[in-house]
Amino acid sequence: MPKLVIDGEEIDVSAGTTILQAAQARGREIPHYCYHKGLSMAGNCRMCLVEVEKAPKLVIGCYTPVAEGMVVHTQSAKVKQARSAMMEFFLVNHPLDCPICDQAGECRLQEYAVEHGTGISRYTESKLALSKAVDIGPHVMLDQERCIQCSRCIRFCDEITKTGELAFFQRGERSQIGIFPGKRLDNAYSGNVVDLCPVGALTLKEFRFKTRVWYLRNTPTICAGCARGCNVVVSVGQQQTMMTTRGQLDDRVKRIVPRVNEEVNAHWICDDGRMSYAKEQGAVRLQAARIGGENASYDAAVAAAAAKLANAARAGKLGVIASPRTLCEDLYAWREVVLRLGSAVFGARSLVSGDNDALLVRADKGANARGAAWIFGASSGEDAVLAAVAKGSVTTLLVLGDTLDPADTLALPVAAKGKVEVIVAGPFASGAAADAAVAIPSASWSEADGTYVNFEGRAQRVRRCHLPLGEARPGWRIAADVAASAGAPLPEWVEASDVLRALSAGVKEFAGVTAESMGLLGVAAPAAAGV
Amino acid sequence: MERILTRNVDKPEALTLSGYEALGGYQALRKAVSSMTPDAVTDEVKKSGLRGRGGAGFPCGLKWSFMPKEVDPKRPHYFLINADESEPGTFKDRLLMEKDPHLVLEGSLLGAYAIRAKAVYIYIRGEFVHEAKVLERAVAEAYARNYAGANILGSGWSCDLVVHRGAGAYICGEETALMSSLEGNRGYPRLKPPFPAVSGVWGCPTTINNVETVANVPFIIERGADWYLTVGKAPKNTGPKLYCLSGHVKRPGVYEAPLGLPMKELIYELGGGMLHGDRPLKAVIPGGSSVPVLRAEDCDVDLDFDALAAKGTMLGSAGVMVMDSSTCMVAAMARIAHFYHHESCGQCTPCREGCGWLERVLNRIEAGNGMQQDLDLLLSVSNNIIGNTICALGDAAAMPAISFVTKFRDEFQHHIDHRSCLTGTLLLQGVR
Repeated sequence: MPKLVIDGEEIDVSAGTTILQAAQARGREIPHYCYHKGLSMAGNCRMCLVEVEKAPKLVIGCYTPVAEGMVVHTQSAKVKQARSAMMEFFLVNHPLDCPICDQAGECRLQEYAVEHGTGISRYTESKLALSKAVDIGPHVMLDQERCIQCSRCIRFCDEITKTGELAFFQRGERSQIGIFPGKRLDNAYSGNVVDLCPVGALTLKEFRFKTRVWYLRNTPTICAGCARGCNVVVSVGQQQTMMTTRGQLDDRVKRIVPRVNEEVNAHWICDDGRMSYAKEQGAVRLQAARIGGENASYDAAVAAAAAKLANAARAGKLGVIASPRTLCEDLYAWREVVLRLGSAVFGARSLVSGDNDALLVRADKGANARGAAWIFGASSGEDAVLAAVAKGSVTTLLVLGDTLDPADTLALPVAAKGKVEVIVAGPFASGAAADAAVAIPSASWSEADGTYVNFEGRAQRVRRCHLPLGEARPGWRIAADVAASAGAPLPEWVEASDVLRALSAGVKEFAGVTAESMGLLGVAAPAAAGV
Repeated sequence: MERILTRNVDKPEALTLSGYEALGGYQALRKAVSSMTPDAVTDEVKKSGLRGRGGAGFPCGLKWSFMPKEVDPKRPHYFLINADESEPGTFKDRLLMEKDPHLVLEGSLLGAYAIRAKAVYIYIRGEFVHEAKVLERAVAEAYARNYAGANILGSGWSCDLVVHRGAGAYICGEETALMSSLEGNRGYPRLKPPFPAVSGVWGCPTTINNVETVANVPFIIERGADWYLTVGKAPKNTGPKLYCLSGHVKRPGVYEAPLGLPMKELIYELGGGMLHGDRPLKAVIPGGSSVPVLRAEDCDVDLDFDALAAKGTMLGSAGVMVMDSSTCMVAAMARIAHFYHHESCGQCTPCREGCGWLERVLNRIEAGNGMQQDLDLLLSVSNNIIGNTICALGDAAAMPAISFVTKFRDEFQHHIDHRSCLTGTLLLQGVR
């Protein structure tokens, strides 16, 4: 445990820690571009130069390991001079096109220029003119002029995806990031290079020119793309008072970016997860309740559903099919409703497609498949329900939630069509909702608080990123209303965490799982931890 | 004096192995592998005081002694020869490789033996096509006579010899960039530590020496360190040295002399004096274009590592560039800046952005468009580069800029004030 002094503060850190990491651990930020915790060392941006007593020249904080008795200065005149010099060098050939740059507002070059720059440039020569919009892949655009050559994107493709599409070409001041001839940046994780890029050189096609980042409202949540449960931040547009006098509400998901969780997804997410919101936005939403295909009031639909469910449950002729993307709270609430009314055959749909890849993507696309299995019982799959339908022992079907692919929004198998009366509580108008006896709109993934359990048994908090569309309500809320209407009320729940408390008391795998214990990074549920 | 390093350069028979042997060649290698341990070779070189001839003047034997004493079979040792001679004004290694290739090979093998290397890679500058061919022919002969390959001269030590041609980048003469390039990667210098002796080429312990450095070794082994110490200025500047004389002198060329040759002797005696009798000496760059320039009045100096360091410059690669009174120092510096701008690898920020900046400002001054603040700007940008880069290329661009501007500030100022040159040639506006 070497002991060192950084800016007068004595710090004890483990051997092998770098100066930059040691400072970070104490909340002292040393400015840097090329250093990234998830990537190898490059040491080429020279922004993190710090002064170490007895060293002949400044050293880079990102690379230099701490040593016993080291005395580091990160704010000395020499260091400040070097930082300001580096800022000046970065801006020699960097275009000042911030007003049209998507990175503006979250640009490290802007931030450090304010913090460490001089405010004026002594560079009066002409800047290099390079390509401004190079289409390098399905999701990524490259602006050669803005690149500060930190090499993070190259290292990402070399080390994380191991696909190596990117490299430096040319030499010296003329060197540029580029793609090898005949290649495209089309690996399954290409969007991460946009997040890694500290400047506006790499931008996401789906996000560029859509909005300014300071208009975004950001919510930490969990990706619903597969059973990995990557931690993400969902950004939605908000009231753009600057843009319109009327204050137009633009309450839609604009982008999804990864959130660091070393236990789950480290620093990355896959492109499918990143773009999953587009699929949702492309689907036709169920905005109002329907009875027999006609719009109806929410209360009427709840009453109709309650009557049908009560009859079927009492007669033991009820089947429940849930999407494996349905929140634990919703599954639990519906289970409690059904058990209060009678009994049912429970089953969660399986959404397995493709293979697990080496990095994050799971073949199981059910973001809450494990949670559904815990709440419905491990042996209960959709097949059991459909078999009961085929036998005629199930005549009423309750269909919950949605799949990620709106074209397949829990579409019923052909065999089940016409044989059963269908009640749907889901976000989309397609699939089972199309010919349901009763359809009640429920909140989609980005519209409700709740809990997902990933394939490793890690319980993580899903957060509401924006208001539900139309009359949509959280699933557990609909369940509670149905229960009350059927004369078998559930406890008084005000918000999702109340449901979670009941769930953790009622289902042993969830013992001890609370909103607090999950926090931002989730918690291994006791069942997964082997308790 | 006796010619040591260059004793064979005018003997064409030295190009063949049998000719080289007839001239006494390969005796040192025979002596070493048959009667000396690797450590004894290192000790002898250490004792000789031989300092690296590539530019930095690091003690050669000391460098060899950094290598692990035991070879880990999973991490063999490599001996690299830096034959990427690219420093402007330098052409000494080229002469040795072209005229006495077996001397280079013998020295390389001795070094390889001393550090227990599995292979020698001679990384030769891409433009040296002829020299590479000469070396390759010599390597084939050395293999045929068992000076290289398996079980060399029955000693039980095996070592391969490979000539690897670069692709024409100045930066690949930087030792770690050379290793990256040799591995097939972009010629980027690496962060240090780890130093090559710990983790060099392919992550294995590596020693890298300049061609001229290893060319000294056969003489040290054959004649002994005590003899070597009598050449040059003991204790710290020993041995013979090749000086590359160029510029405004009557007889430019490579001259061999003991280390510590007075600069005036090189210019006025060996070099035959200034090219034009009516144009006196104005300035000398003593060690390749990357070292600080000397004004004529500072040229009463011995050409060795320490005497030049005392004058605030370096022996470097001993590329002595002589400039007479007709030289425009602004144009000269602009040309030097152009070179480093062109050759900067672009890996780290200060050098990548700073070298181009320096060149553009210098070109502007040279073209008569200078501004009053430009000289301070040049010094400031140079100082912002120095010491803040991964390798020494940034320093190599900035050090001459600082020395030119400070030592010849009047000329630069004249360019700015009068849009004309003190050397009186012509009005500048629109020249470039």
